[in-house]
Amino acid sequence: MKTLKRTRRLSRRGFLKGSAATVAAIAATHGSALAQEPHAPEPGELTPQEIRALVIFARDLFPHDRLDDSYYERAVEPLEDEAVKDGHTRQILVFGIGWLDGSAKRMAGAPYAEVVDEQKRIAVITRLREDQSAPAGFFEKVYNTTIVSLYNQPEVWPKFGYEGPSSAKGGYLHRGFNDLTWL
Amino acid sequence: MPAKFDLNDSSLVVIIGSGAGGGTLANELAQKGISAVVLEAGKRIEITDFRNDEDGMFALFTWLDPRTASGSWYVGQTSPDLPAWICKLVGGTTVHWGACALRFQEHEFKTRTRYGGIDGANLLDWPVDLREMEPYYDRAELKMGVTGRHGIPRLPVSNHGKVLFAGAKKMGYTQFMTTNMAINSVPRDGRASCQQTGFCVQGCTFGAKWSTLYTEIPRAEATGKTEVRPESQVLHIEHDKSGKVTGVVYADKTGAMQRQKARLVCVAGNAIETPRLLLNSSSSMFPQGLANSSGQVGRNYMKHMTSTVFAIFDKPVHMYRGTAQSGIVMDEARLDTKRGFVGGYQMELLPQGLPSFAQNIVPGAWGRDRASIIDNYVNIAGVWLIGEDLARETNRVTLHPNRKDQYGLPIPNVHVDDHPNDLAMQEHALARADALYKSIGAKRTVHHLPFPSTHNMGTCRMSENPRDGVVNRWGQTHDIKNLFVSDGSQFTSSGGENPTLTIVALAIRQAECIADQMSKSVI
Repeated sequence: MKTLKRTRRLSRRGFLKGSAATVAAIAATHGSALAQEPHAPEPGELTPQEIRALVIFARDLFPHDRLDDSYYERAVEPLEDEAVKDGHTRQILVFGIGWLDGSAKRMAGAPYAEVVDEQKRIAVITRLREDQSAPAGFFEKVYNTTIVSLYNQPEVWPKFGYEGPSSAKGGYLHRGFNDLTWL
Repeated sequence: MPAKFDLNDSSLVVIIGSGAGGGTLANELAQKGISAVVLEAGKRIEITDFRNDEDGMFALFTWLDPRTASGSWYVGQTSPDLPAWICKLVGGTTVHWGACALRFQEHEFKTRTRYGGIDGANLLDWPVDLREMEPYYDRAELKMGVTGRHGIPRLPVSNHGKVLFAGAKKMGYTQFMTTNMAINSVPRDGRASCQQTGFCVQGCTFGAKWSTLYTEIPRAEATGKTEVRPESQVLHIEHDKSGKVTGVVYADKTGAMQRQKARLVCVAGNAIETPRLLLNSSSSMFPQGLANSSGQVGRNYMKHMTSTVFAIFDKPVHMYRGTAQSGIVMDEARLDTKRGFVGGYQMELLPQGLPSFAQNIVPGAWGRDRASIIDNYVNIAGVWLIGEDLARETNRVTLHPNRKDQYGLPIPNVHVDDHPNDLAMQEHALARADALYKSIGAKRTVHHLPFPSTHNMGTCRMSENPRDGVVNRWGQTHDIKNLFVSDGSQFTSSGGENPTLTIVALAIRQAECIADQMSKSVI
């Protein structure tokens, strides 16, 4: 199961990076298990285009220039997994992404993830928040999930200067708990 | 050796809950030779299970059984399914608490007399005063190893504390210091000293912070007089025809129902579960619930006025390094009605790790403005404003009219409408904290209104007159002699101080009363 999941992730990453060379390189490194591109989608799996929209949406909600897309890709993985397991969640996400794309096409002439101008994407999200006919629960689902899964990645912490768990290192007693001198 | 008692042993004290109230009471009784069974709803874990992991520990120890919130309070809007952040495990909320161990002030025991009648509030004097409590505060502080008391050195000042104190000095405040903390500043009582880990609230991995989990409870067990039964949730308290309680029915870890007989029952389930249990124990003799002839069970719920100010500087603070809450400014804790409100508030350090900070700051907001706060994480300092809130009859824990828990019992609803006094104090406190940080160069401050309540009080309050409250000066219910309340539910007023020290002092005092009344066969 684990291998399958990893395959799925890696293949998706390859696609998301938009580079056939990346996929080939991963396949070459990891052997034949990965040389099955493109894989058949699992039932309920979101399409690469839908995932890409979620990644851009998560970045627009929590935009940190210091974080590259890989952190946002990891942040939306719990949504992808839930969509596979739970048809209701999948429906919320697919409808929501559809709404984003439809609105973006009307407002900016392209599907949401392909709108380059951040201000125009923000206008779409603002509309999502204000429009009574927008799909219910989509914003909340993505917001409440990715606000946890983005900032809970230990790899993200050093990007913000957070040093995290300290017990194994003997606490901060000898690691700067009182080193402030600028006052 | 932990004791092992029979379900039919009717000579026992049954204690419901193992936190600051229940855990302390069990040990105090055990040291006097009194046998008790402690029924704890949560699991038993040990220090080695603690992790420096905010979300992981939250999921491991938080009381997540369904609850609802209503009313105009902020928590009712932002956290309607989790009105309080308290714990469900052996040791209760003492595993999670920040360990600020402050005494109540004299006037806070006498709010009806000192504040007068206030519209929309249900103030009442405690039947005890500070003088009577002082010896028990002493004993609680010695038990817990409170710093700055009894010759125990204070903890050192962290970066985060330096920032708070520099601002306090600029503001002309004089009462700022590392707080009286129930965290060892030096090795003491078989426990290590603080290593400035910064994860106090996730469970102290060094055991430097006092928690009943690894102090009172193992000591009680070592006497051979105490049995702790984890994963045992009490559903009903039973009574006989004379109205005396006879035992409790609880669900054990397999979900099977058990009936434990008792000579007396002490309820220490924190101020939401305690009144819920009394209300869920209604009978034909007590149709309003046990010990509720006053109608006050569940009423007068208090959770403190709280708010947080985070300040962004242009230089590093690293608020997460070091003892989380060890820094306080006490100048605003006085009673001074010229400020436009009664009661006072403390200013206490409140750091958060990056995950908690990023998840909680400006709830519901999105986009670049919110992200810019998080981008400044290392340069941020935080202070928690915690002050007295006023008892109101309509702020109350009730049984939900139709939602049931996993045992088929009504879940609790917590209803709060802030009193205008609470809001006036909040406004004052936020403005003072803003000014404090701006006085030393903060570029921006961000307000965080209350988090789910960690301090929960008042729902079975003490009163001199049985008409006005649920328990007497010993925590013994007015209506039923052999039924006691042993947690913060007893509080007649909330004070402006963190409640744990007072809960422990009351438990020490209650144990004396129980031993005395048992020896005289009054109970």
